[in-house]
Amino acid sequence: MVETLNNLLLGFSVALQPQILMYAFIGCLIGTLVGMLPGVGPLAGISMLLPATFGLNPIVAIVLLAGVYYGAMYGGSTTSILIRLPGEAASVMTCVDGYAMTQQGRAGPALAIAAIGSFVAGTAGVVGLMLLAPTLASFALRFGPPEYTALLLMGLLVLAYMTGGSIPKTLAMAGFGLMLGMIGIDAMSGYTRFSFDVIELADGIGIVPVAVGLFGISEIMLTASQHMPKLPKNPSLRELMPSSTELKQSIGPIARGTTIGFLIGIIPGSAHIISSFIAYGIERRVSKSPERFGHGAIEGVAGPESANNAAATGAFIPMMALGIPTSPVTAVMIAAIMVHGISPGPMLISQRPDLFWGFVASMYVGNVVLLILNLPLVGMFVSLLRIPYSYLYPCILAFCLLGCYSVSNSVVDIWIMLAMGGIGYVLRKLNFDLAPVALGLVLAPMLELSLRQSLAMSAGSYAIFVERPISVVMLGCGVAMLLFSLKPLLFKSKKKDWRSTVGLDEVS
Amino acid sequence: MKKFHDGYRRVCRSVVALALVTCALPGYAQEVYPTRAITLIVPFPPGGVAEITGRPTAMAMEKILKQPIALVNRPGAGGAVGNAAVANARPDGYTLLMALSSISVIPAADALFDRKPAYAIDQFAPIALISADPTILVSHPSLPVKNLQALVALARTKQGQMSYSSSGIYGALHMPMEMFLHHYKLKMRHVPTNGGGPALTTLLGGHVELTAGGPAAITSHVKSGKLRPHVSWGAKRHENYPDVPTFKEQGADIEYYIWSGLMAPRATPEPLLKVLRDAVRKAVEDADFKTAMARVNSPIQYMDAPEFAKYWDADARRLAAVVKVVGKVDDKK
Repeated sequence: MVETLNNLLLGFSVALQPQILMYAFIGCLIGTLVGMLPGVGPLAGISMLLPATFGLNPIVAIVLLAGVYYGAMYGGSTTSILIRLPGEAASVMTCVDGYAMTQQGRAGPALAIAAIGSFVAGTAGVVGLMLLAPTLASFALRFGPPEYTALLLMGLLVLAYMTGGSIPKTLAMAGFGLMLGMIGIDAMSGYTRFSFDVIELADGIGIVPVAVGLFGISEIMLTASQHMPKLPKNPSLRELMPSSTELKQSIGPIARGTTIGFLIGIIPGSAHIISSFIAYGIERRVSKSPERFGHGAIEGVAGPESANNAAATGAFIPMMALGIPTSPVTAVMIAAIMVHGISPGPMLISQRPDLFWGFVASMYVGNVVLLILNLPLVGMFVSLLRIPYSYLYPCILAFCLLGCYSVSNSVVDIWIMLAMGGIGYVLRKLNFDLAPVALGLVLAPMLELSLRQSLAMSAGSYAIFVERPISVVMLGCGVAMLLFSLKPLLFKSKKKDWRSTVGLDEVS
Repeated sequence: MKKFHDGYRRVCRSVVALALVTCALPGYAQEVYPTRAITLIVPFPPGGVAEITGRPTAMAMEKILKQPIALVNRPGAGGAVGNAAVANARPDGYTLLMALSSISVIPAADALFDRKPAYAIDQFAPIALISADPTILVSHPSLPVKNLQALVALARTKQGQMSYSSSGIYGALHMPMEMFLHHYKLKMRHVPTNGGGPALTTLLGGHVELTAGGPAAITSHVKSGKLRPHVSWGAKRHENYPDVPTFKEQGADIEYYIWSGLMAPRATPEPLLKVLRDAVRKAVEDADFKTAMARVNSPIQYMDAPEFAKYWDADARRLAAVVKVVGKVDDKK
């Protein structure tokens, strides 16, 4: 403990140097902007900054890039809440209740709770990173393909709790998402599926163009087709901040979101994207009044927003403690320190304590910076909504196009986004909920790959899933969740299931 | 004194200006390449080998060509998207490609599956080979073998039961493993992942027993005893792994490198290629370039166009043969 404190002091002595402090601030600022711009996610932001870090020292480089990463997790919520446009994949779930709150004139509290939740989760995540990094990292390695499959199956079960709409419609949308996820090269055999000789499709369809199209573009079209879009009134400061009831309602979701997000974030791979979906599903499940979800429940903002921030921090654990790039973002960050001649690996923390502890300390500082940056800006962001739609929406459309293109410099992505915008418009007119499409698309390729990897490991025997303790436990939890969700259908209780009271009632 | 200096300067300036104008005169008829920024396409996501070697190369060449070189990531389909973009780019010397060895595998795989090929190998004009690094066969320490003979013997007794991870089917780490397995007539379970990092992670977690690793990526894990190196695919021993023998030493005629090289569209005029070749030749001698490459543990392996073309040809043949041997995965059943 004393050692940790000493190390942390060393860290702060590094992180509070004016130069590093400045870069942490710049990183957070860029991250916030990157998160806000639709389509431009943390990966695109970090990649664009990477060459700029070559001339800096490695600590500065990593502090800057990390700032962009978790800053993007803060910023991503802003556009989701205000205009139903997910800034990056992890904030898709925030669109649902966050935007509903905006429509009720509660954009301020939604933004504020997103910032507070992110702060709590980010800070708690750093504490976890600091105290448990080496232990958790070796645990994370035990997550092989079978464990991953079990985790993703649990993610699929979350679908049951995702929407208040009719179950057949939810399943249809999830099916649509899963089918979109089937496009691309078959990982086991190398065959290309449904790519119609478009090389870009061989990699499958990315989540960014789909999420921006389905949520953002469709919203722009829907607004344009309304006769009189109502202008939000100028909110007073009191209305900008969450009420004490709302704060109280958010404590549980923030705590749960942080824990879930952190644990999922540690696992190698891209599972951190599903952390916000799972957090949302769980909040809805444990809520006493699940019917409020989808209609502006603050828990639906607090849970997922905390989860994605905690996951972002958790993802640094395998990177720092083992030096393995577990996701595209950490791969770029590892490259950033490698070009300075530091080889990341299991000895990094002991060989370069200044780097690791400086990094940890800078994240404490960064989270505070982000809270300070984000809370006062809530008012400003909300007043963005007072820009007439005829000016605001064309600008947003332009940003969507740019952002989508910038992810991998691909024009095909823009077409996908526009097509998804059209599909999203029609589906919403028909009262379909779109979040399951996004979850399906995220899950399908990961689930397929890990399932088939597992079966390759066992030469086709499904017993592999029950032979390994972690996967057994997770599958057990999954089955329990499934039974719980079936209970109201099997035993018709006197009290009607909330789903039937919600029926086909929709968000829009 | 000051006045004298001013006058002197003015004279100098006029002389220089006059000289420049005279020099530039023929240039009006035919501008000296390059006159604007060059785009260097990296067909992989940021942070990968192609970018890590591409950036220092671009920076060193900028100094020589006196024009900026913009690095653009065009990832997708294992490099096919970016490669195809350059293959079909205007051959004006302003679009170049930082290719990795996988450039030869994609057309072979396309042919295997009767797909419309993304591009053909003869759509490129090689400029120079920049780096080449053999892969190294590593195992999880729980596997009770210390050398290649023991490993092969063990794998023979456990045909079809041991497993290895790779960066993906027909990927940069799958090819060398297939060479190895085919040579020793071994059968193993193949667990493809989506990149070099995940392939290594899967091995570190003990979920598979073997993988082919890039020397730079495995260094710290080998040092800390988390991975055990057995044999290298290089023709010579790797300088960072002097104790690790090569397949050739062990009597197996297999060779494999992950290389990176600079290429242009085929129809690029010879004079422009000459300018680029000269620039690379000077760039690889650049001190900053050397430090940058040493930092990322990437050995410089410079070859000029004619030599590189031969090298590439031999490599492409080897790889196409491996792809044929692997065949369509389903057909083997």
